[in-house]
Amino acid sequence: MQMDLDKISNLPGHIIDQILSNLSITEAVRTSVLSSKWRYKWATLPHLAFDNQCFPVSSQDHAILKNKLVNIVDHVLLLHNGPIYKFKLSHRDLLGITDIDRWILHLSRSPIKEFVLEIWKGQRYKMPSSLFSCHNLIHLELFNCLLKPPLTFKGFRSLKSLDLQHVTLAQDVFGSLISSCPLLERLTLMNFDGFTHLNIDAPNLQFFDIGGAFEDISFENTFCLTVISIGLYVNVGNEKRRAYANSSNLVNFFAHLPYIRRLEVQSYFLKYLAIGIVPRKLPTPCVHLNYLSIRINFNDVEEVIAALCLLRSSPNLQELEVLARPEEHATMATFTNCWEDNHCSLPFNQLRQVKIVGILGIKPELNFINFLLLASPVLETMSVKPASINGGWELLKELLRFRRASMQAEIIYLDP
Amino acid sequence: MSEVDMQVIKPEMMKSYIWLQTADGSIQQVEQEVAMFCPMICHEILQKGMGSSKNYAISLPQRVNPAMLSLILDYCRFHQVPGRSNKERKSFDERFIRMDTKRLCELTSAADSLQLKPLVDLTSRALARIIEGKTPEEIREIFHLPDDLTEEEKLEPLKNSTDDPRIRLLNRLYARKRKELKERDKLKSVEAEEDRVDDRSVDDLLSFINGGNGEVRKFCFTDSKGVKTSKGKKKNRRRKDPQKNASADESVESHEKDSNCLNFICHRTEVDKLRPHPGETSKLPDEEDEAFAHKVEFDDGDIDDEIDPALKEEIDREVEDFARRLNSDWPERMQEILSLGQERRPVHFFH
Repeated sequence: MQMDLDKISNLPGHIIDQILSNLSITEAVRTSVLSSKWRYKWATLPHLAFDNQCFPVSSQDHAILKNKLVNIVDHVLLLHNGPIYKFKLSHRDLLGITDIDRWILHLSRSPIKEFVLEIWKGQRYKMPSSLFSCHNLIHLELFNCLLKPPLTFKGFRSLKSLDLQHVTLAQDVFGSLISSCPLLERLTLMNFDGFTHLNIDAPNLQFFDIGGAFEDISFENTFCLTVISIGLYVNVGNEKRRAYANSSNLVNFFAHLPYIRRLEVQSYFLKYLAIGIVPRKLPTPCVHLNYLSIRINFNDVEEVIAALCLLRSSPNLQELEVLARPEEHATMATFTNCWEDNHCSLPFNQLRQVKIVGILGIKPELNFINFLLLASPVLETMSVKPASINGGWELLKELLRFRRASMQAEIIYLDP
Repeated sequence: MSEVDMQVIKPEMMKSYIWLQTADGSIQQVEQEVAMFCPMICHEILQKGMGSSKNYAISLPQRVNPAMLSLILDYCRFHQVPGRSNKERKSFDERFIRMDTKRLCELTSAADSLQLKPLVDLTSRALARIIEGKTPEEIREIFHLPDDLTEEEKLEPLKNSTDDPRIRLLNRLYARKRKELKERDKLKSVEAEEDRVDDRSVDDLLSFINGGNGEVRKFCFTDSKGVKTSKGKKKNRRRKDPQKNASADESVESHEKDSNCLNFICHRTEVDKLRPHPGETSKLPDEEDEAFAHKVEFDDGDIDDEIDPALKEEIDREVEDFARRLNSDWPERMQEILSLGQERRPVHFFH
């Protein structure tokens, strides 16, 4: 009788795995107490995740908590039976312990495909060499780690997604890592150190997100790259501009990015791009660029010129976001209104949404807004959010006066 | 017919249908685009050319009964329409999975056999949500799972982190129960050994019976019969013969003290039964066999059925009483600790 009513215990193993995968590891292991059939159903789970959600946060002594966690992971790994495809370890109290080495060694014996390790506090955790023998890895995500692969390391042949944040890598390690992962599609690099020259040679790369301190960046064979977000967190010194007077960062940057669709230029990267010769227009326009977001200092003439070049080269832009970086008032040299004469020759036939944030209401900014309004015949909304309340009123008064090329255009003023 | 006419007629009349047959033999027609949403059916149509007529109906896997098929087709009918927004689909899904747990499990199984992954994902998530956050008892009740883990697997001490005296008491009680269980096990193994070791001749044993009753002797059986009927133990479990119970109760008291008593008591009832046949010596060989077989069943049955459950019941009652007492004093906290304890039991490391 009981047997007929129990519809769940006899479901196929892969379905039970799927059901248990939707539970936290604690809940999944708890099912071992339900009945004799369920004693080891959890043990074949292909995905194991030990994170803050899995373990109840209790205000106990730190050492005790750490020991508990180590104990738990040890037991689960030991009782587990079958291949492990995904493993995630990210708990705030799991820091700087060498047990992780042991666990990674155990995992390297499984055909592991996804590995996520986040060390919340403490110094960089040196990844053991056994990590580099996980040849089936498809996704690797590390936070606060140090990578020093053994000399025999030939790359992750199957790696498609790499996410490194707060990591330390030597320059050559970085270079060889990227070039030895031929299938790489997604690359995220945030707050790294140990390398400053970024040469991205990745034929299958589609998504690139980087934020950190670097000296230069270049792309090679990146014909699939469509989404880029780059943030240069250090201010580019003015002497650099003089040094590179003969080259053009802007042109070089876009030389290998013919299919770019979304671009975010953050922090000081526009300043970096403005180094060297900035042409009126790029040699080949970015015909696929739909979305552009730039962090710009309207007081810096060269940045403004670079932005203008970029806009001129993006005829199919649909959405534009402009974030003002209103410091460095000192570089307010004489500048002409470089925007004025341009709107007729290059209308943005697709531009529908514009977002402007953090402006002060100074002349260059207003000129820019005016230019946009005149050059966007299909504009639908433009939202403007000043940096502070001061001068907001003046800004509004100016905004009201501007003529608009688009009849549907709405200008939305947002309070700071 | 002119071209225009054909174009007008086409959409409605030319809609193609697929024939599907469920394991119970019933056949039905389904719109092709709806059925094709299931990869398994799609495969049958495209690769094997099945389903175009009643004779060539596609045989669906056994796990798909007509009720489940109907649900699955409802799902397919909605989702195969291309123009729907994600929001619409999501709200349909949420309404769709509102069904009792039993059907949800059956649906998962059926969808899996038709390789309809989105529906399997949906139902798996729903089942996980049902399991989430519930105590083992609640989960067992919902899914009708037998509570058949051995007692030792469940009887693990509650973590007494706060040195609570009530928990200490409970742990002590559990320890006592475990000890009793261990002794019982030891006893079982001792008797089993004795079963095997004994090789007295049949005549010896017979003479005992014929000689009358009252003599207390160790009365164990040769193992061949014992072994055979040990399989019958399971059958005997169900039998609750009141007569047996009576004897069992008596033996409960004496069980721990003297294992001989057990045999004596069983033997006594057997002797009563056998008394009518003392004179028929020629028949005895057969009857002995029967008697012995019967007795062995009886015996083993008694050891497993009658003594254990009674003792078990008593101990269960003790624990329940204690728990009730605790609960009435300190309801909330104790419930929490008890339920936590039960959850944690087989999984040491979560203490």
